[in-house]
Amino acid sequence: MKTILSVTVNGQPRDDVVPDNMLLVDYLREKIGLTGTKVGCDGGECGACTVLIDGRPRHACLTLAATCQEARIDTVESLAHAGRLSAIQRGFHEKLGAQCGFCTPGMVMAAEGLLRQNPAPSEADIRSALAANICRCTGYVKIIEAVQAAARELAS
Amino acid sequence: MNDISPVQTIGLPQPFVDGPEKVTGKAMYAADFSAADALVGRILRSPVAHAKIVSVDTARAEALAGVLAVVTGEDCADTHGVLPIAMNEWALARYRVRYRGEPVAAVAAVDEATAQQALALIEVEYEELPAYFTAEEARAEGAIDLHEERPGNIERDVHFDLGDVDGGMAEADLVREMTFQCAEVCQAQMEPHAAFAEYDTARERLTMRSSTQVPYYVHLMLARVLGIDKLQVRVVKPYIGGGFGSRTETLQSELAAALLARKAGRSVKVVLSREETFITHRGRPESQLRMKVGMRKDGTITAVDFEAVQRGGAYSDYGIVTILYAGSMIYGIYDITSARFEGYRVLTNTPPCGAFRGHGTVKTRFAFESLIDDMAIELGLDPFEVRRANLLQAPTMTENDLLVNSYGLDECLDWVEQASGWRQRKGKLGPYRGLGMACSHYISGASKPKHWTGEPHATIHLRVDWDASITLLTGAAEIGQGSSTVMAQCVAETLGVDMGRIRVISSDSALTPKDNGSYSSRVTYMVGNASIDAAQNLKAKLIEAAARKLEIAPEDVECLGEVYRGGQQDQGLSFDEVVMEALGGEGTLTVKGIFDTIPESWGGRKYRGAAIGGTMAFSYAAQVVEVAVDPDTAEITVEKVWVAHDCGKALNPLSVEGQVQGSVWMGMGQAMTEETRLHDGLLLHANMLDYRVPTIVDSPPIEVKIVEAADPHGPFGAKEAGEGSLSGFLPALTNAVADAIGVRATELPLTPDRLLDLLEKTALAERAGGKEVA
Amino acid sequence: MEQLPQMRMHRPATAEEAVALHAEAAAARYLAGGSDLIVNVRRGIEQPEALIYLNGIGEMHEIAESDGGISMGGALTLRQLAENEILRRDYPAVAEAAGEVAGPSHREYGTLGGNLCLDTRCIYYNQSEWWRATNSYCLKHRGEICHVAPGGKKCFAAFSGDLAPALLLFDAEVELAGPDGRRRLPLAEMYRNDGLDHLTLAAGELLVAVHLPALPADVRSGYAKSRVRGSIDFPLAGAAVRLSVKDGALGDLRVALTGVGSWPFLVPGTEKFIGGPLDEETSAQLRELVRAKAKAMKTTTTAPHYRRRVAGVLAQRLAEGLATA
Repeated sequence: MKTILSVTVNGQPRDDVVPDNMLLVDYLREKIGLTGTKVGCDGGECGACTVLIDGRPRHACLTLAATCQEARIDTVESLAHAGRLSAIQRGFHEKLGAQCGFCTPGMVMAAEGLLRQNPAPSEADIRSALAANICRCTGYVKIIEAVQAAARELAS
Repeated sequence: MNDISPVQTIGLPQPFVDGPEKVTGKAMYAADFSAADALVGRILRSPVAHAKIVSVDTARAEALAGVLAVVTGEDCADTHGVLPIAMNEWALARYRVRYRGEPVAAVAAVDEATAQQALALIEVEYEELPAYFTAEEARAEGAIDLHEERPGNIERDVHFDLGDVDGGMAEADLVREMTFQCAEVCQAQMEPHAAFAEYDTARERLTMRSSTQVPYYVHLMLARVLGIDKLQVRVVKPYIGGGFGSRTETLQSELAAALLARKAGRSVKVVLSREETFITHRGRPESQLRMKVGMRKDGTITAVDFEAVQRGGAYSDYGIVTILYAGSMIYGIYDITSARFEGYRVLTNTPPCGAFRGHGTVKTRFAFESLIDDMAIELGLDPFEVRRANLLQAPTMTENDLLVNSYGLDECLDWVEQASGWRQRKGKLGPYRGLGMACSHYISGASKPKHWTGEPHATIHLRVDWDASITLLTGAAEIGQGSSTVMAQCVAETLGVDMGRIRVISSDSALTPKDNGSYSSRVTYMVGNASIDAAQNLKAKLIEAAARKLEIAPEDVECLGEVYRGGQQDQGLSFDEVVMEALGGEGTLTVKGIFDTIPESWGGRKYRGAAIGGTMAFSYAAQVVEVAVDPDTAEITVEKVWVAHDCGKALNPLSVEGQVQGSVWMGMGQAMTEETRLHDGLLLHANMLDYRVPTIVDSPPIEVKIVEAADPHGPFGAKEAGEGSLSGFLPALTNAVADAIGVRATELPLTPDRLLDLLEKTALAERAGGKEVA
Repeated sequence: MEQLPQMRMHRPATAEEAVALHAEAAAARYLAGGSDLIVNVRRGIEQPEALIYLNGIGEMHEIAESDGGISMGGALTLRQLAENEILRRDYPAVAEAAGEVAGPSHREYGTLGGNLCLDTRCIYYNQSEWWRATNSYCLKHRGEICHVAPGGKKCFAAFSGDLAPALLLFDAEVELAGPDGRRRLPLAEMYRNDGLDHLTLAAGELLVAVHLPALPADVRSGYAKSRVRGSIDFPLAGAAVRLSVKDGALGDLRVALTGVGSWPFLVPGTEKFIGGPLDEETSAQLRELVRAKAKAMKTTTTAPHYRRRVAGVLAQRLAEGLATA
């Protein structure tokens, strides 16, 4: 009923005993205290819990931790380096892509997944990549601007 | 030295002072708190819509190993509610349940599994009563009363008849009447409700961290419902994942967590599921409206006669205020003298409605702007012309005694007309494409608070100590709207210092002055003014200190923000030096600022409840919406929105843009996809799949123009920015659809299946030779 | 922390091992992406005691051309299918359908097998345990009544996978591993029109792969779906169309639907259009034919008659677009 989970979370290899029925989002939030990843719905409908697994966006609320054996998991807490915001984080902060901030960790990680695959996305690419993430504050206008700003910064 | 000048922060785009925490995941929301001793709190909900509670037996649940507390209505010292005159809700139902999902009991246990098991062991015996899921059923003859003190299930009926409505109708060249039906909508803020209660058994003290817009009201109700003194409560507002009105009152999640924490003597965390968050509701009521307008050939409006019926849900909540706004806000935007209103707020066996962004005004605006658009076309007038024919001249008092001190609607109209290419493009977009427009307005806070205590509307404390940092202490709840940033700006601008000097502490009742909370767009106006007042008081102290040090008269001190000096030749004192001087003999500086509204803004007395609508300032907005309609699938695509919003001086233009875009877009959700649905009183939509908040691919570009008709009393001339442009979207959309395909939608949301029905009905009517479809 | 039932996770390396584990364990379920299954577990609809996690089975991740057609492992993700060059070139309806499922994050882990074996959906069924209990459950799960058609004894829950109609166009076969070994089954025979029990799979059978046969020359195909929002939502109706045109006449025409019944199905009667042109009249006839065969019921908050009508429109438009491409 339990698994010894060997994963790399935010670059840090670790082994944890997790129950087989534990959701990844609970593993992150409750077991190892990474509360940046949010829960906004009852399963896969809002995107607030989006994390990267092996570089690809995925809902932590529909993923069992025990299926992440040997995976590399990146959460919003991984992005800032030495206290410096990443380009995407800076984009969301400076362009006001985050109002209440609750969708932001998931939104930022979906954007991170996009820019890793496609460093120069069109507006349509951005819309497609963030289409599983609901925001209730911004109307998405400034979220698109935030990702565009980040892409520009990364390109220069 | 000569080029030193005060730092400017007002009017410049400012990223939020609490932004870095949000983008890094460090921001702590209520559900992110934990404690070693924390218990899991869960709520038992009524499976029936209306029943007498015969008995609640918690013995088996209490006996379960791992259960530390079980609470029921018996543990509540009193009812609660948001309006002092209508507190008829129990945190946990007592005597009766009135909607499916109403909390009946709550448990605290060592883990989720145990809590869940315990809920199943609570035995509740119900004696079912007839249940009413529509306003019509609840008002019908023979219906039993949900609340004894509300005969006929009428929470409030509102009547006014101002000016000469019958005369106005008689002198009109055109009189038209339409009815409208708007579905109930829910705020669906991204963060489900959560409360973390800590109980200090040694001192009998409760500390609450919860997802609220109104920490002060939560404080009041915790004391009332727990039956403890208010000094035994501390409310700390963490980061809040949006509100939009769903949290402008104390919720059962907070009350249950507190009751459990006290009983268990431990910390209790209650995190509602998304489904429970939908059940908690407090959204915008389902409404029927009838609107009749008289108009002269030139477009001037001679009279308005309208009626609104709202399905309010099972408890009073904000209902009285909502139905009053629905009437009073016919005024304040156009030059209307004669208006008659009948409003009915009805109690039903559905989750309670509350205050939703644009509170009370949205459906009235939808009906009015739809009807006058049709009338304009019938009279051969351009929709812009009709609005322009009815503009107000500020300053003025409306017929229902609302103060209008500043008015930028004309400029809003000019800009959206120009930017959208209205004159060149209207009617020339090709088949199934259209342009529609509408105007809207909103208050900058209610001038009479619902809890009238004689205190100022807003109080701010500033603290300056030896490190020369300024700590701004405010009870105003930062909920993502950027209020902490605006307050820091107001203080920084007044003192001319860098914003980096200012640290904002928002809403901790142990530290910050009382504030009524974040609702009705009151914070920028009221708390902004108090911030300026506090900063001015601080500045006076600093100037006095600088004068002392410089050995000159205070009036000769030139304050340049970071430097205080006697004249251009003077080397001057740094801010730090001035602060050190000011601390001498006095110690840490604490100053206060307050704000009060003026009596002229308190609204009228011409009918019962006429004070509702009274405000220091109105914001104004105009918008143009461009749509494409698919004639086969009846899908509407919003191609673009141009919106101009008069917020007075835009203190933080970046944030104003964000607020206006968010408002327009939220209006879009209500207009097109969002609605609650019930099956025998059970919510069909209680998840983020069936409650359809638009995704990024459904959302149009929204171009914002900030219009700055400065308000004489606003902080630096500022007014409301976060609500006023919501309601205009609804009629602008249906007006655009009418322009595109010639059908008038009167039922919202205009989902593809509704529009298809409307198209088929219209086609049928046309085939039958009829001209109009009701 | 969300409370899920106690479950034991198994990680087989082969399909045969998976089948054996499934046979041994009580109340076992195969788990691939989990985007549908875990939602249902969280809602108490599924209460498995064992999960057979399929990710370690190598062959289920393979995609290769075979016999002029293509073979696809059941654990391929929807994104992999949507991006696959062969599918995009030869079987565009399949790639398009894969790219239309839910939202981008769901497609990162939702799989081919999962989408084909998707549970049927209904507004009275896809609700929490509290909700369903309060509503006396329903015919599909623990209850006696159907809230869609009270009084009836048939469950109308709608099949809502996007891939199945696209694959049906091409006579896809599924490769199944079961207690009695492997077998191949036409995809069409994997479904029955019963919301309660829409899969004909035997207990413990595992969908290992899907095989598409070689394609006749000049066949064009496409997929389109209707939903209220442009992302995340399940189809209110989905249509896949395959056709070929020779000398201005249809050489081939197939339409398959999803979302408008308890199974995905090829619309019968499209062969009557073969040999003639797809002109205004015949395309309108096609729309009416499809509308008549789309038997959407009140399983969503969107009106059933709308879903029927839009199914016809989707098919008509796809056909018109493909015919003139």
